[in-house]
Amino acid sequence: MKSKLLVFMVAIAIIAGFFTMYSCGEKPEEKAKGEVVVEKINIGALNDMTGATSDVGKDYALGIAEAIHYINETGGINGKQIKLHQFDYGYRIPEALTKYNLFKHLRCAAVLGWGTGDTEALAPTVARDKMPYVSASYSGHLCDTGKTPYNLFFSTDYSTQVRGLITAWFDKKWPKHPDYGKRKPRIAACYMFASAFSSASIKAYKDQAEMLGFEIGSDQDVSLFAIDTKSQILALKEFKPDVVLHTNTVMSVAATLRDAYALELGADHIIKNWGFDENLPRLAGPAAEGAIGCAPWAFFGLDVPLMDKVVEYAKKYNPGIPVEKRTVHTVQGWASVLGLAEALKRADKAGSLSGENILKNGFETMKNYEIGLGIAPVTFLPSDHRPMSEAKIYEWKDGKFSLIAEVDLKERWPEKWANEWLGW
Amino acid sequence: MRKKTFILIGFSFVIVAAMLFGCVEEKVQGPTEQNFKAPIVTLNTIEVAHYWGWWYFSSKVAPTKGKAGNYGAPLDLAFVFDIENPNSYPVKMENLKFTVAFEEFDLNSLNSVETQWIPAGKTNQLRVHGMFDGRQSLMSLLVTGGFKLKAKGVGAFDQLEKWWVGAPEFAFPIHAREGSAVFKADGLTKVVAFSGTFPK
Repeated sequence: MKSKLLVFMVAIAIIAGFFTMYSCGEKPEEKAKGEVVVEKINIGALNDMTGATSDVGKDYALGIAEAIHYINETGGINGKQIKLHQFDYGYRIPEALTKYNLFKHLRCAAVLGWGTGDTEALAPTVARDKMPYVSASYSGHLCDTGKTPYNLFFSTDYSTQVRGLITAWFDKKWPKHPDYGKRKPRIAACYMFASAFSSASIKAYKDQAEMLGFEIGSDQDVSLFAIDTKSQILALKEFKPDVVLHTNTVMSVAATLRDAYALELGADHIIKNWGFDENLPRLAGPAAEGAIGCAPWAFFGLDVPLMDKVVEYAKKYNPGIPVEKRTVHTVQGWASVLGLAEALKRADKAGSLSGENILKNGFETMKNYEIGLGIAPVTFLPSDHRPMSEAKIYEWKDGKFSLIAEVDLKERWPEKWANEWLGW
Repeated sequence: MRKKTFILIGFSFVIVAAMLFGCVEEKVQGPTEQNFKAPIVTLNTIEVAHYWGWWYFSSKVAPTKGKAGNYGAPLDLAFVFDIENPNSYPVKMENLKFTVAFEEFDLNSLNSVETQWIPAGKTNQLRVHGMFDGRQSLMSLLVTGGFKLKAKGVGAFDQLEKWWVGAPEFAFPIHAREGSAVFKADGLTKVVAFSGTFPK
């Protein structure tokens, strides 16, 4: 009798055990629901967080990663998730070439690149590989599709920026000068001669200045690492420029403005986008007052479409970095990612994510495409990758950036825009 | 006989009820927005993983072999973190990144994207290597800390030499700051901020 009781109890325990396992355990259909295999799209990113342009590159890199999180959390690329392979290449071209080869092995659908030197060095390779390459170099050299068909960016190109800056100064500031109408305005430029980035738009600067009737002074070689530029300022003092063009990044631009202020150069300053950010007044102090710069995007935190998401994701994914330290370069990173994501969505709907399809049925279908973030509408033509013809010009005055001009080069000089200015 | 039957039936119900109770308890403990506690990331130690001393050659110096260039001594540091999961379920760490500062100067940004699972209530360790090449560090120091160096009256090369020579003895504080780590559990995301200094 005792053994029968024992068998009965064991049987009950086993039945209960199976019942519990079934009811508590994850059923196959539930497991399938929880672990849906999502198709991934590999994207490579080359960023400079430690090299010669890390003063602006780190914040851009943060923006890239945060924007990818945003894309993935809001539906991805038609349901597909992006896997970002982001590397710091230290602004070294050999490292960039090495990482690009890795991206090919990883079967990346596109690359988010960085500097002018490495982007221009890679341009023939990406054209051969049919690899869409969205850079943070906005060099005009990358816009001629006959030479660099797979290079794209979401910004006003450097040459258009510089032409817009000179034109805005000529329109707004020169007429108020006491010598207006008595002589030609005088202009000179400060930049690092050996840097492909800094010198990318110098030919366009001289062309525009000549066209508007400026007297052009000698160029001054200012390293991207310069913290003392007194000799260059003293050389400029002999020429007595009314306005000085700066095409370096913010650290050396701040150093030049400080020395120009201390040595009473007495000129206005016009600055390409990478030298004109929220850190400029922090680094240059009162010497930054009245500085004029080109910013194709809204500054961090301004009230424009999608900026709320930029700020939200900065706080969410980098809670250790105070938002006060974030800059317009985060917004630039977002613009690159949002633009690329839109091209990927269009290409995916059109059938495939091959490089050629991303270019032809993605980017080159964008006609006055509105990204948000304060950027002018974007158009890519098969023959012309200049994304926009408008240069937004801001002035740093009384503690804030104010929009003082929107110069549309295509509208003002349609013939030159169409027939002369592409690719340089 | 009847009494025994009642006892057996009663016993069966007790067992099934106990199992079901356990089942309910287990389900309650799965990840939810409310019970997902932030994992804790702590800098455990920093090691000088590989060391070559201090040297710098400019591109004007002819090399014995290879191409001339601006080359500075590399310094390989390893940052070891403890990653504690205080939850009663496993969590996945997807990404960890931080800025490295020697004294008050930001010099490098490091990122680890390899995923790892941390068991419930356990602590994993993660080693992140950071390569500090002398040339790149010089550029980083100048563009992000140039004004601070100028204010201190110290040259960039002197500062680098002091760090490279002092690193084996940890003669200066190294900070891992502005850190963030992304954790996931059943589709929920938690981002954790962290910082740390070595020597402590």
